[in-house]
Amino acid sequence: MEIEVRPGLIGARVQRLEDPRLLTGHGTYVDDLQLPGTLHLAFRRSDHGHARIIAIDTEEAAAMPGVAAVVTAADIADGVKPYRATSRMPDYHPTTLPVLAADKVRYVGEPVVAVLAENRYLAEDAAEQVAIDYDPLPTVIDPEAAAQPGAPVLHEEIGSNVILSRSFSRGDVEAALAGAPVRVAGRFRMHRKTPAAMENRAYLADYDQGRRALTLYSSTQVPGIVRDSLAEILDIPGNRLRVIAPDVGGGFGGKTPLYGEEVLVCHLARKLGRPVKWCADRLEDLTTTSQAFDEIVEAELACDGDGTILGLRAEVIGDIGAYSIYPYTAALEPVQVISFLPGPYRVPSYHGAVKGVATSKALTGAYRGVGRPISTFAMERLVDMAARELSLDPLEMRRRNMVRAEEFPYKTPVGLVWDRAGFMECLDGAAAAADYDGLRAEQARARADGRWFGIGLASYAELTGLGSRISAAPGMPVNTGTETASIRIDATGAVTAAFGIASHGQGLETTLAQVVAEELGVRVEDVEVVHGDSDAVAHSTGTYASRSTILAGGAATLSARALRQQVVEAAAHLLEAAQADIEVADGAIRVAGTDRAMSFPELAKAVFVEMGRLPRELREQVDLQVTKTYDPYFGTTAPATHLAVVEIDPETYRVAIRRYVVAEDCGRIINPMIADGQVHGGVAQGIGAALYEEVVYDDEGQILTASLVDYLVPTAAEIPEMEVLHLEIETEANIGGFRGLGEGGTIGAPAALANAVTDALAPLGIDIDELPVTPDRLFRLIREANKDEN
Amino acid sequence: MKPPPFAYLAAGSLDEAISALAAGDGEARLLAGGQSLMPMLNFRLLQPGLLISLNRIPGLGGITENGGGLRIGALTRHAELERSPLVARHFPVLGAAMEHVAHLAIRNRGTIGGSLCHADPAAELPMLMCLLDAGITAQGPAGERTLAAAEFFLGALTTALAEDEIVTAIELPALAEGCGWGFEEMARRSGDFALAGAAAIISLTGDRVSEARLAVMGAHPTPLRVAAAEALLRDQTIDEDTVRAAAEAAAAAVEPDNDLHASADYRRHLIGVLTARVLRAALRRAQGETP
Repeated sequence: MEIEVRPGLIGARVQRLEDPRLLTGHGTYVDDLQLPGTLHLAFRRSDHGHARIIAIDTEEAAAMPGVAAVVTAADIADGVKPYRATSRMPDYHPTTLPVLAADKVRYVGEPVVAVLAENRYLAEDAAEQVAIDYDPLPTVIDPEAAAQPGAPVLHEEIGSNVILSRSFSRGDVEAALAGAPVRVAGRFRMHRKTPAAMENRAYLADYDQGRRALTLYSSTQVPGIVRDSLAEILDIPGNRLRVIAPDVGGGFGGKTPLYGEEVLVCHLARKLGRPVKWCADRLEDLTTTSQAFDEIVEAELACDGDGTILGLRAEVIGDIGAYSIYPYTAALEPVQVISFLPGPYRVPSYHGAVKGVATSKALTGAYRGVGRPISTFAMERLVDMAARELSLDPLEMRRRNMVRAEEFPYKTPVGLVWDRAGFMECLDGAAAAADYDGLRAEQARARADGRWFGIGLASYAELTGLGSRISAAPGMPVNTGTETASIRIDATGAVTAAFGIASHGQGLETTLAQVVAEELGVRVEDVEVVHGDSDAVAHSTGTYASRSTILAGGAATLSARALRQQVVEAAAHLLEAAQADIEVADGAIRVAGTDRAMSFPELAKAVFVEMGRLPRELREQVDLQVTKTYDPYFGTTAPATHLAVVEIDPETYRVAIRRYVVAEDCGRIINPMIADGQVHGGVAQGIGAALYEEVVYDDEGQILTASLVDYLVPTAAEIPEMEVLHLEIETEANIGGFRGLGEGGTIGAPAALANAVTDALAPLGIDIDELPVTPDRLFRLIREANKDEN
Repeated sequence: MKPPPFAYLAAGSLDEAISALAAGDGEARLLAGGQSLMPMLNFRLLQPGLLISLNRIPGLGGITENGGGLRIGALTRHAELERSPLVARHFPVLGAAMEHVAHLAIRNRGTIGGSLCHADPAAELPMLMCLLDAGITAQGPAGERTLAAAEFFLGALTTALAEDEIVTAIELPALAEGCGWGFEEMARRSGDFALAGAAAIISLTGDRVSEARLAVMGAHPTPLRVAAAEALLRDQTIDEDTVRAAAEAAAAAVEPDNDLHASADYRRHLIGVLTARVLRAALRRAQGETP
């Protein structure tokens, strides 16, 4: 899709400013930081899914060469306050998060003993010599069984594994279902996924004894949240605690929680007076970084004879893992499933209920798309099933039910409000771009030849760039609704824009520079974007939930506009012109219609250095630095339609993606190349969820997918070419007119592929209700279908 | 994921490696390309006292013509097999299969000797050696011997090699002039270990099969030559019914396991499907066509 290049920097295909650094190996990741005297941390982790710790013997490990300390829960009780994820949500029971397990372990991989040594090799040698005596307890693996009374309980103080319950209702769904001419129901299962960022989690803590100040270098998406949390847990004021996220190699949500390892390196660095480093290896990443997408959705959809949706009812079980993740709580994903299940459609009656159930598995948390991939999978399957009952084309079924342009703002059954967004435009755009009718004709020919050829649609809407009115996680006591930008022109005339967000692959160094440059009137390359540092601004929560472009972009807009006003005021005085006649563009300041002009360095010199150039009152007014905070208050709707074409080998059951089309409304585009990249990456991860990726635990709680040989992340060879259509529907929901687009690819792809595979298998009457749909699952489904037929 | 401590010897000669291996008394391991050994060390699944690198031993690599066939040094990398004009001329099935072996970086390091000694039941080279009736030459303190590929693989990750022997070369005897070949595998992703795979060689005299070879992998503790299927094809005129019968024989011959990536039943099903495909391809090539 060719995008027209418009005048102005917002919308320009600017090459990513961070790429020369990252692509030539000049990036600096946490593991690249080498501080003298660093001690390296390795863990002895639980090899039980659920067990009581009887005794720990560290004597032999402590005597190993190069070992500085061997630390258990008892050793850190003095310096680390217990913490847990609280929420205002009723029917939620927080779980205390141990940095090191004290009395019990609740999943394989849980840290029990920490070993500090001169290098990682010696630390691992010593960790192997730690002896832990366990009394095994029954594991809790199946979330449905775990929710039953009488199941073994992971957290005795709660008395049940059901640690959260929530429901939403609108209208009389029972009556709607009872009277409906068409009812379709399914049990939809998506399996557990792990983010698998290219860079594993890594932390390096450095304690300055003289200043009693701590610096943590962390591969985190949320340096501000980590700083604020550590200040409480370690009892250090924020002015002596700095969290820096240097270059970070991907996060996808897995680097949004505060982790125990992060707390521990800080505590140990302070206690021992030496830098302490821990870099997860891939085994630790796959066993302990937060996982996601583990839900079972039982849902029923009722329609009128013409396809009009009458009601939707759903019961959802979320397998949340061993603890409620900090600070978002385990409610984050399961509750979003029932929040977004009605999708972009008019659903007059709805009841959605969810339970979050603790199991003997790694914690779950945010992962690109949070809940919406599952809700979209379930709803889009139901929409296709209803269309089939009615002999209606899936495209027409969606057209009949999708919220129409004149219906915005539209309040969803759970009380979210869709602002004007291109729902129908995306649906029609995808169908047109893919030549939907032509595809159906091609499918008819393929079927006549006995080929298994399928077309799948998936439409969704999400809320991005949440303001302070809506928590990123239900009831979370952390304001995620504002961001701050601090922009200054220094005495040399150089522009620095500082943010609390933390770019870790999104290209925000470029997009935010484009916003600042356009609003301020300088060139993109003149703007130095500072991010990923808790010291950059007073408060920030970082980069997640498709928020940084809208919130940091909004703060950049406000700050840059105010700074430009200062530039104009100073320049008007210096150039002896009216403010209205001052033009600022491409880094030059001019008096309109004259040859009088000055550069930013000349302006800065006049303001800061040269005595007497500005009158006293102006000097105090024009300091060429502005800090502004932006709060979009609500959120901004971002819809899309995905269309997948697949062909399945009728002998091996390999699924080949023949075409993949995305039509999405991301509002005003800042950089089309980056927008494309976000969609491509998101779809790739959605393809992973649909066809490849699955974290597998056995009945004992042992994780069977503990390497990248067994946990299958799709490679470039598995990802098709994509056709991406960006619709830039105007929005006034935020100052920049942007819509978040970081997660959408992952939201639409599983549903589109599930519908495409189901469509391909229509001659066999097979419905895909479990993802990933692996060749082996297809083999079993097809064998069953053939049995039924015989 | 750091290896436990070990001593390291970069052997300068085969004799030095053989002596060190013997002196290691079961605690020493040989390092060739390291593509399987190093991960096992990093997972601490192995804790050898001594690693003996074979990489600096002169003359252990290389591909040379030998009679009508080839002699392949044990240290020859997968990438060399993939690109070798000699392999392409004499054993095109071998060269063509190499692109299915993992990824380029792994093929640049991994060796034929290492792959055969590791004896992964889903690896391509062990199956291809069975298909090509390879002789696997090994040297130890007692001297040199050559084992037939069919006798070399005893079980998953288990070979007939003695603890003190080192594989030095592979002898591939010439194939019949004008024979056709086929190779197919099914893996979850490009470069993954195959869920199942098959390879065939067919020679025709007129329209009758004078020689048929069929080997399968990934669905049995070892690579397998399927004698029952070969017998069904020999001296026959192949049509779709013979292909199907041979495929059924292959599927019946394997004893697959269930694992994370595929059930035993699915693997058995794949053996049938892939067998039919490689036989059709081999037949077409033997008939002078491009499949």
